[in-house]
Amino acid sequence: MTVHFERSFFGADSLVTTIGRGAIGGKAQGLVTVASAVREGLPPERFPGVTVGIPRFTVLTTEVFDTFMEQNSLWELPWSALRDDRIAAAFLRGELPPRWLGDLRALSLEVTVPLAVRSSSLLEDALFRPFAGVYSTKMIPNHEPSPDERFRNLVQAIKLVWASTFFVDARRYRASIGVPDGDEKMAVMIQEVVGHRRYDRFYPTLSGVARSWNYYATERGRAKDGVVDLALGLGKTIVGGGLVWSYSPARPNAPPPYNSTRDMLQNTQTGFWAVRMTRQETHDPIREDEFLVRGGLAQAEYDDMLRFVASTLDPRTGRVVPGIGVMGPRLMDFAPLLKWDEVPVNGVIRALLEACEDKLGTAVEIELAATLERRKGTPAKVGLLQVRPMVVSNEGVDVRPELLHDEAAIVASDNVLGHGRRTDIADIVLVRPESFARESTHAIARELERINDKLVEERRPYLLVGFGRWGSSDPWAGIPVTWGQIAGARVIVEAPLEGVEPEPSQGSHFFHNVTSFRVAYFTLRSRAPSRVDWAWLAAQPAMSAGPYVSHLRLPQPLELRVDGNTGKGVVLRHA
Amino acid sequence: MSANSFNPYRMAQRQFDGVADKLELDEATRSLLRTPMREYQFSIPVRMDDGSVRVFRGFRIQHNDSRGPCKGGIRFHPQETEDTVRALAMWMTWKCAVVDIPLGGGKGGIICDPHDLSLREQERLSRGWVRQLARNVGPLSDVPAPDVMTNAQHMLWMLDEFEAIHGQKLPGFITGKPVGMGGSLGRTEATGYGLIYMVREALRELDIRPEDTKASVQGFGNVAQYAIELYNQLGGTVTCVSSWNQSDQCSYSFRRADGVQLEELRGITDSFGGIDKGRARELGYEVLDGDAWISQDVDILLPCALENQVNAETVQGISDRVRLVAEGANGPTTPEADAFFADRGIFVIPDFLANAGGVTCSYFEQVQSNMNYFWSKDEVLGKLDDKMTTAFHAVSDLSRRRKLYMRDAAYVIAIGRVASACSDRGWV
Repeated sequence: MTVHFERSFFGADSLVTTIGRGAIGGKAQGLVTVASAVREGLPPERFPGVTVGIPRFTVLTTEVFDTFMEQNSLWELPWSALRDDRIAAAFLRGELPPRWLGDLRALSLEVTVPLAVRSSSLLEDALFRPFAGVYSTKMIPNHEPSPDERFRNLVQAIKLVWASTFFVDARRYRASIGVPDGDEKMAVMIQEVVGHRRYDRFYPTLSGVARSWNYYATERGRAKDGVVDLALGLGKTIVGGGLVWSYSPARPNAPPPYNSTRDMLQNTQTGFWAVRMTRQETHDPIREDEFLVRGGLAQAEYDDMLRFVASTLDPRTGRVVPGIGVMGPRLMDFAPLLKWDEVPVNGVIRALLEACEDKLGTAVEIELAATLERRKGTPAKVGLLQVRPMVVSNEGVDVRPELLHDEAAIVASDNVLGHGRRTDIADIVLVRPESFARESTHAIARELERINDKLVEERRPYLLVGFGRWGSSDPWAGIPVTWGQIAGARVIVEAPLEGVEPEPSQGSHFFHNVTSFRVAYFTLRSRAPSRVDWAWLAAQPAMSAGPYVSHLRLPQPLELRVDGNTGKGVVLRHA
Repeated sequence: MSANSFNPYRMAQRQFDGVADKLELDEATRSLLRTPMREYQFSIPVRMDDGSVRVFRGFRIQHNDSRGPCKGGIRFHPQETEDTVRALAMWMTWKCAVVDIPLGGGKGGIICDPHDLSLREQERLSRGWVRQLARNVGPLSDVPAPDVMTNAQHMLWMLDEFEAIHGQKLPGFITGKPVGMGGSLGRTEATGYGLIYMVREALRELDIRPEDTKASVQGFGNVAQYAIELYNQLGGTVTCVSSWNQSDQCSYSFRRADGVQLEELRGITDSFGGIDKGRARELGYEVLDGDAWISQDVDILLPCALENQVNAETVQGISDRVRLVAEGANGPTTPEADAFFADRGIFVIPDFLANAGGVTCSYFEQVQSNMNYFWSKDEVLGKLDDKMTTAFHAVSDLSRRRKLYMRDAAYVIAIGRVASACSDRGWV
């Protein structure tokens, strides 16, 4: 399926070419596996006016990684004693194996469009072993007139992705699933970025993450209908846990889950990410977003990118009108696509999910990006960027409604993500309600990290209780942890913040890890049957207590029950 | 092998004449290109450590600078002759042209044997060479570099002398300087790696996988060592290397059927590339006659020592298995041996193409030195691979298209470029 990179990126006959001989890693393999199914399942005539495909890519195989590591003695680095930036700096100092430099140089000479340099590790390949979002992806503008500059940026991006294999989050992550660092090998995908250049920004009209199985299924759709998150611009908004438009692909024009237009304005996307196409103001090769820039909706409108994806709040009527034909605040609800089907993006997403699901024989999560031309009727392009298998459990679990009100239920909710029963959790990590403050969420994240590291090392799964949206990139909306900082948690409780009814964490990578590690995720509302028995928790002796967080260890383990079909779940204490 | 019977300059001229006919060059162009434009010969008096004075003979030949400043090494060799230096200067012109770098060809040397000189004597000799030539060389006219039995230290002495004479810092005067003192990363590896970049491309053309090949190498100096290093990384196996033995004044071949171990041999090699034959025997190597390297049962021959090593006599011993000869040395193959290769259908990567990695990286060093801004090793070697691969493709494409022997195709490209430059400048 793959052929050697013959120093021609665009001229190659194959979708994927390889540099080096080892493995191509999980992400690349995923795309290679579904390539023919996508081609056959979505022929050009199926969606006239829409071109669907997988953007061309080249993979630096694990052989290149191995040689680089060995040649530069990088296995000898004392990982645990080094900060991420020091690890990245050590990798940037390393020299690439000379036998492949010419290939990368040739790529830099030929290609002058933005490139995504993505991780594609061996462990990402393993089914049911999610590594989503653990390793770095770096976008580079790659449009500089000097091939030397393009080459430099490309090489630095590759080294950063390799370095991210050993960043603290990644090491913690592997520790939480019992995989030694030496077992991981990193291939790197170099892929064309799907998008348009608009002035000094390069970005797609929309990015999407779609799952064929929805563990968050509520009244908005059934689990098997799946769920789609859409955002304007690069997918970083979605995978980073930003505000996105989430809907069921079976019911794309269902009414939005907001109580008011004000609520909707506050909870929809207001900014987007793009590749910066102007000269860099700073040189910081160890930053993943070195070449990215954030824009607001006004800029996107100036770029003529809102035509298909926004609606407008008509100030005269107070109603939301699909499109941008009238003046007023813009709302990112993708209504021209989802309500009016101006471009059959939802149809394409459903077809892609179906093709990938059929090919992999399991529920899938896909990432895609699309460029829609300004005028209606001109061809749109949809690129499938990633495909991952999802974990779906069929085990029956009994969570009768009355159990939610049982005295022994220390946590109960009818909005629970996950499925199954377990009785091996005796540790609770609790953000104390009286200590919690929105301005302290970064400090709380650091405190959680320390306790998590200890519990991961001791191989003790735990129940984590906190406030607001977990993994949020907005520190005022919740505790901005990365997955690595809480990787040992097997039950997570998201309690409501005062005055805010939390939307479940939709950050795709965070979410994907939650599902794939079979983490039970309780989203509590401020009304019954949602409850946490704060009094009982407060009465338990703490093993340790910091400024914000307490660690409790119970003499008897808790019992967890979650029914993924009804979304009901409880955590029961020992009677 | 007798050096007396072989005149490299006559050979270089013969090669040129053949190509000039193919290119149908006019008389003036032929006359300009078949002899050097400028020659400097001079005496260098050196005070020896024992207080006596010895006078050495030095040369600098500038063959042609129509495409840019002359570029070429400085050799310290006891058997140095004007004609050797002339031939090498001419080959430098063609070499720079065939890889399309904007430089002309030059070469220099001193008749001496550095084995018999102390470091202080070598320093005085190096500085003496520069004093004689300071007005005729320089970053914009003629840029010397290390060659046979000269190294980074000699270059630094020469640079220091040149800068002292001119009262300025001029790191672009000379290349092959130590890294950190105006030298380029990747320079040490450049010639050997460049040779293997070409071998890699040739094997692709022959549809042979590197890991299925074996090679025999003549010489174990810098070029050979780095060539073996990269060739091993590609998966190939070197079964035999030869090297000069200073005390016995002859060369030996060292053979191991399952592949020589580069690091092991490096550990028993002196700074001139001479392998200790006693220790090699202890390590399990067969120690054979110096010419034995050429008759090994291998797919690839890499002559990486001196000129005139593959000749009418030695070529007869070549195994039927040999498919590729890549000339790491300058002028290792005589026209008689060339005819043999052509008859046998052996693919030859000619010297001035195959070993152009060194001058290409020297050019990179010159560029960096003139900017006083230095690149990463990744950048240097990436550019080198690209330059070498592009040059190889140009030559092999022409060779295929016009059914030319590879050496002739390389000469046609190189001489054609130099002739055009002379014509464009209005010289002829």
